[in-house]
Amino acid sequence: MRAVSIAGVGGIRFGKYGDRSLRVLGEEACIKAIRDAGMTPRDIQVAYVGNLAQWEWGQGLLIGHYVLREIGLTKIPITRVENGCATGSNAFHEAWYRVATGACDIALAFGVEQMTVASSEKILSVFTGRQHAERGGDMGNSAPGLFGLLARRHMEEFGTTREQIAMVAVKNRKYGSMNPEAQLTRALTLEEVLKERMICDPLTLPQCCPRGDGAAAVVLVAGKIARKYNSIPISVAASVQVSGTYPDDRSYTFFDTDVRAAEAAYKMAGLGPEDIDLAEVHDCFSVAEIVHYEDLGFCRKGEGGRFIDEGHSGIGGKIPVNTSGGLLSKGHVIGATGISQIIELVRQLRGQAGRRQVEGARVALQHNGGGFIHTDTASCFIHILRN
Amino acid sequence: MSQGVKKRSFIEDAWFHDFGQGWSLTGGRCPACGRIYFPTKQVCPSCFNAEQEKVPLSRKGKLHTFSRSHMGPAGIRTPFTIGFIDLPEGIKLFSLLTDCDPWDKVLGVGMEMEMVIETIREDEEGNEIVGYKFRPSREASS
Repeated sequence: MRAVSIAGVGGIRFGKYGDRSLRVLGEEACIKAIRDAGMTPRDIQVAYVGNLAQWEWGQGLLIGHYVLREIGLTKIPITRVENGCATGSNAFHEAWYRVATGACDIALAFGVEQMTVASSEKILSVFTGRQHAERGGDMGNSAPGLFGLLARRHMEEFGTTREQIAMVAVKNRKYGSMNPEAQLTRALTLEEVLKERMICDPLTLPQCCPRGDGAAAVVLVAGKIARKYNSIPISVAASVQVSGTYPDDRSYTFFDTDVRAAEAAYKMAGLGPEDIDLAEVHDCFSVAEIVHYEDLGFCRKGEGGRFIDEGHSGIGGKIPVNTSGGLLSKGHVIGATGISQIIELVRQLRGQAGRRQVEGARVALQHNGGGFIHTDTASCFIHILRN
Repeated sequence: MSQGVKKRSFIEDAWFHDFGQGWSLTGGRCPACGRIYFPTKQVCPSCFNAEQEKVPLSRKGKLHTFSRSHMGPAGIRTPFTIGFIDLPEGIKLFSLLTDCDPWDKVLGVGMEMEMVIETIREDEEGNEIVGYKFRPSREASS
């Protein structure tokens, strides 16, 4: 594999854009990323788009082609990918692979999603379709349910407290309040988080990520030509994709996908968790972040609660996590989420994160889990970036 | 238009079978490697053997974890209680929990649970969808 760098990034603030089309949202992010890379669309040789679903009426076709045609990017291979909540990361990974293998020198990856146009019931029904053997969805299971169950077992086995779990929302909303691109910008106290409406015990509303509309785009280039386009190219030290094993025989306190993806990513980068200066991880629910600390090796198994309690995942701590505000502040705009995480890390590694800047950040890790089957995420992507 | 007669049916017929002692959950056992799956599968995911024999799953298991959900699909009244049950066959089963009020006092990780056949929810026409649930084991507590 050859060296690959990120030359340009661009996104739009996640929010409610029901009055604009999915296509227009995608265009805006792509234009920004291509400009940021100092390129024109004609420089792009391949494109991948992440888009999970067109929620108001089912599956849409050819969203990548519609978006890119508008900005004059035609002829090249354009492919839409889907991989649950890690759909955006999958688009990035495919674009990286094309450049890393030498198939091309410049690739575009973007993600776009428009979720506020559909009702919550419609979204739940898309997630819990009847095609799945276990049919957890119409038996009463849900995403908050799965993470409520995870939280209870973690509390029981390791003594993790409700307060420690809720602190993830406090921390991430604090950083969200410092991020002009976050959807929820009001910081919350621990007391406020705990007394909010219960969704699935012990997870109250601010501990569950909101949905939204938005888009995010990245331009990847072969490392050897990176400096031609950007004075601060960020290199991709690892790009890893794994799928779940859905274990029955193990304690439901971790994600097998996370553990295997982290091991492979550290190996590929020739680094370990001790080298990571900051991370964006998939905090779809507060407790997920605590489990990710452990699975990614930021702390030992069972010590995730203490890790946040002692401030190790805050700015100034050992490994600041989700300085963007995470999904809990930005919202989970599924196709765009993974790429949006990468954009935050690129800004941090370029030293452009403003008030959220992690001083001296050299190495950053992105983690995005996709979908859920039985006891495991269906897919997991980890990228390690360095400046 | 007159209201039709309400129907009562299993959520999945193939999940349930009377092996001679009332309804049991139907597992698929691979004769080659001995692993048991639920629901039954076309081939053994472990050894790809196509022969599967239907076996009744244990009605009892241990509560692996639980939660109280204040949101969920249409037709199930909120809040409701959910859990993962560890069956002796090595299967972790998602289930609604019943007969466990007050849930946060009654339930505990590791406790013995037993299966019951009950209405899971109502569909759009008001028909009852029947499936499995687990409740704290009555034998263990007596």
